[in-house]
Amino acid sequence: MRRYIIKRLLYTLLIAWGVLTITFVLLRLSPSSPADKYLLNLTARGQDISQVIASIEARYGLNRPIHEQYFQYVGSLVRGDWGWSLSTSMPVLELLGRHWVYSFQLILLATIVAVFLGILIGVYSAVRQYSRADYIATFFSFVGIALPNFWLGIMLILIFSVKLGWFKTYYDTALPILSLDNLKALVLPVLTLSTGMMAGYTRYTRSATLDNLRKDFVLFARSKGVPERTVILRHVLRNAMLPIVTIIMFDLGSIVFGGAYLTEIIFGIPGLGRISFNAVFAQDYPVVVAVTLIGALVVLLVNLITDVLYTYLDPRIRYD
Amino acid sequence: MKKQLTALGLALALGFILFGAACAPQRQARDQYISGTSAGDAETLNWILAADSASLSYAGQTLDSLATYNNKFEVQLRHLAKPVEVSPDGLVYTITIRDDLHWSDGVRVTAEDYVYTLKSLMFSDWLNFPYKGDWQEQVGGQPVFVKPEVVNATTFRIVRQTVDPEFFDNALIGLTPYPKHIAQKYEGNVKAFTEAEEFNKLTYTGNLGPYKFKDWVRNDKYVVARNPEFFLGKEDGAPFFTERIIKIFGTPAATMAALEAGDITAAGIDPAQVAKFKSKANLEVYTTPDTGYLLLAYNMRDNGWEGFRDPRVRQAFSVTVSKKQVVEQILLGFGEPAFSFLPKPSPWYTEEGVDKYGVEPLYSKDKARETLIAAGYGARGADGSFRLSDKGGKPLKLVLATNVGNKTREDTAALIQQELSDLGVEVELKLVPWPTLLNNYLKNKVPSAAGEAQFNSGPRAVSQERWDMIIIGFSSNPIAPSGQEVFLTSSGGLNFWGYNSAAVDALFKRVKSAEAVSPENRKKLYAELSRVIAQDQPVNFLAFQYGNTGIQKRVKGIEPGINMGYNFHRWFYE
Repeated sequence: MRRYIIKRLLYTLLIAWGVLTITFVLLRLSPSSPADKYLLNLTARGQDISQVIASIEARYGLNRPIHEQYFQYVGSLVRGDWGWSLSTSMPVLELLGRHWVYSFQLILLATIVAVFLGILIGVYSAVRQYSRADYIATFFSFVGIALPNFWLGIMLILIFSVKLGWFKTYYDTALPILSLDNLKALVLPVLTLSTGMMAGYTRYTRSATLDNLRKDFVLFARSKGVPERTVILRHVLRNAMLPIVTIIMFDLGSIVFGGAYLTEIIFGIPGLGRISFNAVFAQDYPVVVAVTLIGALVVLLVNLITDVLYTYLDPRIRYD
Repeated sequence: MKKQLTALGLALALGFILFGAACAPQRQARDQYISGTSAGDAETLNWILAADSASLSYAGQTLDSLATYNNKFEVQLRHLAKPVEVSPDGLVYTITIRDDLHWSDGVRVTAEDYVYTLKSLMFSDWLNFPYKGDWQEQVGGQPVFVKPEVVNATTFRIVRQTVDPEFFDNALIGLTPYPKHIAQKYEGNVKAFTEAEEFNKLTYTGNLGPYKFKDWVRNDKYVVARNPEFFLGKEDGAPFFTERIIKIFGTPAATMAALEAGDITAAGIDPAQVAKFKSKANLEVYTTPDTGYLLLAYNMRDNGWEGFRDPRVRQAFSVTVSKKQVVEQILLGFGEPAFSFLPKPSPWYTEEGVDKYGVEPLYSKDKARETLIAAGYGARGADGSFRLSDKGGKPLKLVLATNVGNKTREDTAALIQQELSDLGVEVELKLVPWPTLLNNYLKNKVPSAAGEAQFNSGPRAVSQERWDMIIIGFSSNPIAPSGQEVFLTSSGGLNFWGYNSAAVDALFKRVKSAEAVSPENRKKLYAELSRVIAQDQPVNFLAFQYGNTGIQKRVKGIEPGINMGYNFHRWFYE
């Protein structure tokens, strides 16, 4: 197992380097310039844009050959210098260090809520197949899957913030992270982000649980007189968890990579999704490369953790 | 049953958490002034490196400039102790600053700081100040910098070799100093200067502005706190608001929801939302003139339709598009027809002798048809019906481009397409991303020439993509509009449509000469420019837009107008 993990970690480094190089080259080959966004203001001042674009590119060394820029960037990265964000004027590492927590708390809470409720409802729905509760759960899970995040978020704001005044319309970064006020500020964003995930987990859990409920080992356990709760939790759910864990981990990877972006946009949360999206539009190369690299690393590591988790969930799986 | 009870218990627990969270005390922002925007965040607080308006606006809250304008364009002194003195020949500007300005470390602000900022930072080669062109003049066909020199601790001079009647309005009025004793540490090292903590956190601003920097969470909010030492405090009192916050929202809808809920103090309002917000008891909506205008550019370059090189054809197209419809249907009444680059509040604005294309009687499709026939683009059939064609007799098909995502421009494009279809022009709309519009449509170069494409690479240059008309928005400085020469003179750096008029070139030259120092003469020259350009129609100036701002009614001290925020430090809560 150890050898397998080391091998996978080496692959991870190799893939991360590939992602870094491709992202860097693609960004530099783009016909746009970080100075493009200033056009409106410059025209307002009657300034010759060509000169300004040239001066801004010269300031950040973007007028040098691409290979020079690449080797300088990789060299700095190796020394722990992730560069200077062109669009936010701060070190990239400091920028990501300040903003990751906003994404993390949102993703963590949304995942906890979605996993907990999704599995709970899914199992209940399967055990009570074709009951009224199952139909209701099925109906709402389809609705949850169909609702787009941006629509749900705006509706929640209009109802609970604008009409009822229960919550602020936007997330306030002045609130201490570990406070009730912060928890309150996260209620609507977490609901928005977790609804679709929860609905999906409900469906997957129901389906996987039903599959296992029909298996011989369940019949055998029941015939032995094992209590029903133990049959469900220890035998059925444990076996059903294998595909569910895969899906949860896959979701987690994609959310970290920007899936929470829409929720961040709607609720004004300055998380990594929003930072990276704005960086793409601002042609902020150092931030885009860093976020892509970190995102790729997270996805690769989550995949590795998933594979390792399999061996605990299903002892028959062996990588050696 | 047990399981059901467990599930119920968990659901209740979750509900309890949500309810508890909902009942948590809400923060009151009584003395904060929170402006909401979805226009995006600033780039830097190190303002000399900035080229975006948000950066300059952020820094400007902690650093006043030499002076500003009120809504009537009267100069309001800020760092200036008295109005700038200009020598009779218009070449020497003597600037006297207040003697009570100081940096955060207590060091006095002197004329030396201003001259250092100009000579060693703004004019330097190593820093690449984006607006250095504002401080250059053409001498012998070459751009040279003006010459700043220290007179004494509070006075410095700027000596020019040529007269520019709008030098004060275009450049001098906005001058803000860097502290020489701090900036010298980074001189010559652009990386160190760019990353200097003092400049990126505005720790040096002393009593130079109404607020002091407090926090900046990127893509979220910019916070400044009341500066009790503010230099105008003696006369006006320190600002009322304890904090001024700019809150960045991801979408206009989120901004509007926050304004409606009372979570923010003020925000710009889309025209379609104005009526709704006017009905809110807690909000006042201020509609003020704006300097932004919408225009339809005609491509007179070699890859555009050759008809647009004939002013009669341009007139015929301009006479076809109703500006009333643009204002009423697209801007929903929040704008007014434009006939030149001068907005109505400008002291140089005139309508005398200016052809008003696009409003009756110069909104007439019959007139357009007659003009096009006279220009050789069409004929009447035996039954009197009009048939438009190009010189080869083929039906006319033109490309109209604009940037996707800008609803005003997209709607205007559809309106123009409809209007021109009445003439028999088939208009193909191309809605492209902004960078594509810039790089493939606006930038141009001579096909065989080496080098990068520019926005005006000479009369023979063409863009990568073929286009005939482009809808775009520009902005004009109402008090010093001569900067519009970059669009309208033959050598103007942004004359991407290839307009060439000796008369317009000469008039812009005169408006930037000694002849225009007298306001009466300048007014005459701008009037003449307006008339010539309106007659020639190099572009169809469609409309000047109005801005709508919703502000909570309890905010007092507001003077609505084109420069509404000029006295922000005097605004207060009732």
